[in-house]
Amino acid sequence: MDRMLYIAMNGAKQTMTAQAITANNLANVSSTGFRADLAKMLSLPVSGTGFPSRVYSETENPDVDFQSGAIIPTGNELDVAISGDGWLTIQTPDGNEAYTRAGNLSISPQGGFLTTVNGLPLLGNGGPIAIPPYSKLEIASDGTISILPVGQEPGTLSVIDRIRLVNPAKADLFKGTDGLFRHRNNETAIPNINVTLVGGALESSNVNAVASMVDMITQARSFEMQVKMMKMADENDSTSARLMQMS
Amino acid sequence: MERALWIAKTGLDAQQNKLAVISNNLANVNTNAFKRDRAVFEDLLYQNLRQVGGSTSQSTELPTGKRLGTGVRIVATEKLHTQGNVIQTENQLDMAINGRGYFQILLPDGTTAYTRDGSFQTNSQGQVVTSSGYELQPAITIPSDAISVSIGQDGTFSSLLQGNPTPITLGNLQLADFVNPAGLQAIGENLYLETSSSSTATAGTPGQSGLGGLIQGSLESSNVNVVEELVNMIETQRAYEMNSKVISTADGMLRYISNNL
Repeated sequence: MDRMLYIAMNGAKQTMTAQAITANNLANVSSTGFRADLAKMLSLPVSGTGFPSRVYSETENPDVDFQSGAIIPTGNELDVAISGDGWLTIQTPDGNEAYTRAGNLSISPQGGFLTTVNGLPLLGNGGPIAIPPYSKLEIASDGTISILPVGQEPGTLSVIDRIRLVNPAKADLFKGTDGLFRHRNNETAIPNINVTLVGGALESSNVNAVASMVDMITQARSFEMQVKMMKMADENDSTSARLMQMS
Repeated sequence: MERALWIAKTGLDAQQNKLAVISNNLANVNTNAFKRDRAVFEDLLYQNLRQVGGSTSQSTELPTGKRLGTGVRIVATEKLHTQGNVIQTENQLDMAINGRGYFQILLPDGTTAYTRDGSFQTNSQGQVVTSSGYELQPAITIPSDAISVSIGQDGTFSSLLQGNPTPITLGNLQLADFVNPAGLQAIGENLYLETSSSSTATAGTPGQSGLGGLIQGSLESSNVNVVEELVNMIETQRAYEMNSKVISTADGMLRYISNNL
């Protein structure tokens, strides 16, 4: 059969995959601290005997967009946003470290640990952070958590722990299947004093809605072009079949 | 079939639920002591089609992988228990809590519910009850010949009776507190139930051990910020439109291929 048909089909299929990445970014336009996935096409020439005319393509997402999202003030004392680069460190169920930018924290029913919204404990300088009953909680810009214990006079603030803020090299990070970031070599990132927090605020998703819409249109048109090529391959084949017909 | 269709569907679902949360907040902008909800979004699982770092030969590995997200979901709706404004009503049985704490209410089925709505009334027996008629705990009864009722900052109810110049004490109100108020379960009628997530209630005297003091003749207003909710509503609507655009684009792609091949 005509090679052109298969190459165009591969192009259409890979464009649909890229469309899925764009759709996922747009679906997560409101997810706190979400990092957009980037889609990229890779050309895969097929070499062999004869003229190397076949170049297949493949969609990949080489990396994640690490730009910061907008900081939205919420006024909630358990909300933190990271200004600039940096990550919150959390403990995954298998005991390893993962990183996130979603700072909507809560206090777990068992043991009163500070956790993310899906219950994974946030790590401080000394492991998971247990919060005793408090009447006021403050998270400073360097991650220091201080509380006013229940029943104490104002002014008797006590420091509980410091949120472990890290900033590993971006090239070493990848997004896991649960949306959390991990270190490529499973290394433990060292705390970085240059990472600063904004209390009472959350970071929005960094998806650029306009750019994603443009990507979506480009991909839809590119898909139509591939289909057009498949149609052309079909026409070429039927024309050549007609040429051979005995009239 | 096309993944983008289903991914955009999760986006539509989540934005629609968020709009429901926003409209409930806006509908309760005048509800006493209403605590606003917030929808928390989270990305769904990712599918790894090509694992990054997988071997391409004995000595080389893939520099980049292929990982497709599957959309978004609302992982939680959190109640934000921040203090609302205190509004003076001059009604002698209205109380606002200035700080932490919840009034304890006895439900008809015998369980205890908690509320910050301090608009109390008396029933036919003179007992202090909520607007729905549920008794305040510990029970306080106001005598029929009472001229006035005073509520102290520490929850002491006292009353001046007809023909008696010295006020008598009717009882002491106690407030309940929780380690994690966000874990309380809202059941409507401005009431909350304790859950394993909120921890068990610890009762105490208002104004002491971290509990807020009582302000008589005042009510706590809803903590909904109308401007914030309207901004959220605009954002939700636009995000909804964009996700529906993805659906129509994906649909257009599929229609194009079926019409042209």
